[in-house]
Amino acid sequence: MTNNNSKTNTKKIFNFKNIEKFLLFFLILTIIVFILWPILAVFYKSLIINGSFNFTCYHALFVKNYKLLLNSLFISCTSTFFAVLLGLIIALYITYLKLPGKLFIFLVLLLTMISPPFVTSLAYIMLFGRRGLITYKLLGLHLNPYGWHGIILMQTISQASIAALIILGILRSIDKKFEQSSMDLGANGLRTLFKVTLPLAKSGIIAAALIVFVRSLADFGTPIIIGGGYKVLATEAYLNVIGLYNLPNASAMSVLLLIPALIAFILYRKMINNSNFYSAKKNSFDNFSINLPHWFTGGIAIITYLFIIFILLKYATIFWGAFAKTWGIDYSFSLKHISKLNINKLGSFFRSIKYSIIAGIAGSIIALILSYIIERKKIYGNNIIDFIVTLPFMIPGIFFGIGYVLAFHSKPLLLTGTGFIVIVNCIYRQLPLGTKAGSSVLSQLNPEMESSARDLGANEFFLFKDIILPNMKSAFLLSFINTFTATMTTIGAVIFLITPSSKIATVEMFDAIKNGNIGTGAVLANLIIFTVLIINLLFTWFLLREKKTKTNYKKSKISYVSTIEPNY
Amino acid sequence: MRERGKLFILLGIGLIFCLFAGNIIYASNSNSKIKLFGAYEGKEKIFSTFTKDTGIKIEYLDMSSGEVLARLKAEKGTPLADIWFGGGVDSFIAAKNNGLLIPYISKESKYIPEKYKDPEGYWTGLSIVLISFIVNTDIAKELNIPIPQTWSALINPKFKDEISMSNPAISGTAYTILTGILQTMGKTKGWEFIGKLNKNIDYYAKRGSEPYTKAALGEVMVGLATDTGIELQREGYPIITVFPKDGIFWCPSPVAILKGTTNPEGAKKFVDWCLSERGQKVLSNNCPRIPTRKGVEIPKLLKSVENTELQKINFEEAGKLRTSIIEEWKNKFDK
Repeated sequence: MTNNNSKTNTKKIFNFKNIEKFLLFFLILTIIVFILWPILAVFYKSLIINGSFNFTCYHALFVKNYKLLLNSLFISCTSTFFAVLLGLIIALYITYLKLPGKLFIFLVLLLTMISPPFVTSLAYIMLFGRRGLITYKLLGLHLNPYGWHGIILMQTISQASIAALIILGILRSIDKKFEQSSMDLGANGLRTLFKVTLPLAKSGIIAAALIVFVRSLADFGTPIIIGGGYKVLATEAYLNVIGLYNLPNASAMSVLLLIPALIAFILYRKMINNSNFYSAKKNSFDNFSINLPHWFTGGIAIITYLFIIFILLKYATIFWGAFAKTWGIDYSFSLKHISKLNINKLGSFFRSIKYSIIAGIAGSIIALILSYIIERKKIYGNNIIDFIVTLPFMIPGIFFGIGYVLAFHSKPLLLTGTGFIVIVNCIYRQLPLGTKAGSSVLSQLNPEMESSARDLGANEFFLFKDIILPNMKSAFLLSFINTFTATMTTIGAVIFLITPSSKIATVEMFDAIKNGNIGTGAVLANLIIFTVLIINLLFTWFLLREKKTKTNYKKSKISYVSTIEPNY
Repeated sequence: MRERGKLFILLGIGLIFCLFAGNIIYASNSNSKIKLFGAYEGKEKIFSTFTKDTGIKIEYLDMSSGEVLARLKAEKGTPLADIWFGGGVDSFIAAKNNGLLIPYISKESKYIPEKYKDPEGYWTGLSIVLISFIVNTDIAKELNIPIPQTWSALINPKFKDEISMSNPAISGTAYTILTGILQTMGKTKGWEFIGKLNKNIDYYAKRGSEPYTKAALGEVMVGLATDTGIELQREGYPIITVFPKDGIFWCPSPVAILKGTTNPEGAKKFVDWCLSERGQKVLSNNCPRIPTRKGVEIPKLLKSVENTELQKINFEEAGKLRTSIIEEWKNKFDK
């Protein structure tokens, strides 16, 4: 009997090891094919012109267009500064102020993660444009929102949420004992905040800044719509493709864009490795809060409320846009835009959902297995794997899109023109967040637990299934939600990959707006927003339900935030 | 709990496989279907009529000519679509010169005048796109400026920052304006005029759709655009379409078969249908443009234009000079 048992066990180990090896090989292969190869293709295209090696594109860029690089850096640095400041203020509100509405603010922050392209900026123009509802009709101001200030304002607002979520996670993980001791030793609240809390959160704040910097650098949608005559690299790269048909030049611009992003990225990794905030314990003083002066809390509250009002106005505009007779002109109720939804438009919408679900599930599974390999299987070169996997995160969407066209338009990897390539693009573009979430969960999991399980006779399969997987649920959730949301709202990276038979909802929305049917565009935008919201809530509920026995809802929400924390 | 987790993952994997399998089956069954790139107003109704007439289904993707050309060049003959429907003729000429199109002379082609089609049949004009001013009447009233009726009215300093035009490097419409001005006024005077117009343009829009959208929303008073004005008016915007009295710039909006088509028979049927009397009527009923086929009635909205002389424009030349003109424009005005 015992003999028999151990036999099947060895057999299983043998099988699982083989499967594991195969999986490992297969995953690494896909990473090379779907991440590294497109990136190299862009480099190749920018360097080899007519079959010979040359630097013409770069030379022209540096000499003629160095201003573009400066513009990009200026915008990114300024936006980053303001976005992180705003994010910090919102995070402080949620963590330290004894005022109501924290859950609501938190939900609004999550809502801003769902931001369908085009319609958002149309809402901005409608509210704050030259003849916008608020700036012009209400306040009578003659402002021109188009230019660098418009880009910075929009980016600040849209990036503040992610900064706030990251900083929030860090503030929550700070051990309150330090603050308590500082207060006990006689420091006032403000001094404690600036001398104890913020220095402790420093690494997290810098990590948030680097992330916002990279995102702002890669953002081409905002400058294209409200940049006016102000040019940045990401936008020009896009225009070089669609306007001038100049792929080598566009590739060179993308590569140039990559340099500051890479520097930020390397700094970010150093930051994460040197800091110890992964291991920080959840605070034990749940009700403890430092006493801050009224003028300070008042300022924080006002800024936070203004931000929330701004965001809500934006979403209310989009929402009402679907029902108003004429966007921006006639606000009376009408169902005419909704009645315009036909099979074609709905077809694209359902295709979007299908793609997003596939990308979400497949992407999360790949991400979690990868993070397990990177964290636990100390194979040769897993640092390099980790680096490659994280690359798409800091690559501008346009760059990734161009890379895919260049890499997969010819045999043996002829994939363009299929829906498959669109999905794969979304999966690998969002992989970094998934693997980071997985890694963070794994690094909090004590390896000794696995060792003891092993000592008690569990084989690798059971180890993975019974210890790793159950703990990975929150990471899976985060990864799925992120990939799903990104796929539902994406356009930049996939715009060159879409074909008539793989048209998705964002493209359909763009068409409607392009043809003057802004109302129909708004209907589609709302469909996207509500679908993403519902799916997100459903998934959160589905996965959190199982945790309910261990902890109450409020606590699991906190753990959700702290998974976003330093890893994003 | 364990069981549920396992079930969940299994279900997920199952779902993925089902969807992929579904995709493959769906994709292989595509003989009675054509895929199409293009930009044409009222295309949904046009296509559904075509499907009714012939039984061939159409899947389409709305793309500006620049995007289509960029895609075709990047893909180099990979079958992405069968048909390119509507857009700026200069992109079609560029595509022809890059070997991205298949020539096809339809039996209906003989009814289309020479100037509206490629002599070798690489592209054939469907309709004539006219450049117009999309004017926001509310803003005109507010600023107390009469509605501009001519190109020369637009260089009045009163219109400072009230005109929106796309970047000609991106938009076929804007490029048509540029070559129109240069060819009719001559090089020196033309650039001079463009310089004056430039003073009233705050910045050049980076998307072809921006000028008319901006005019509709009241961000500017005048948007230089093609035929979308009517649709915006229908939506309820205070917009009128003005065809300038001192010269209408135009270009044929062609149809072409793409290299790498997987359904050449269907594609040819589509071209035939578009150029036939029936197809031309359907086109002009759904999109107010002048039909290229002789004897097909001009849409009511354009009756006023009928007697205005269309400017003589050499498209072959415009296509050839595109790079140098855009380069010169960029050096002078790209701000």
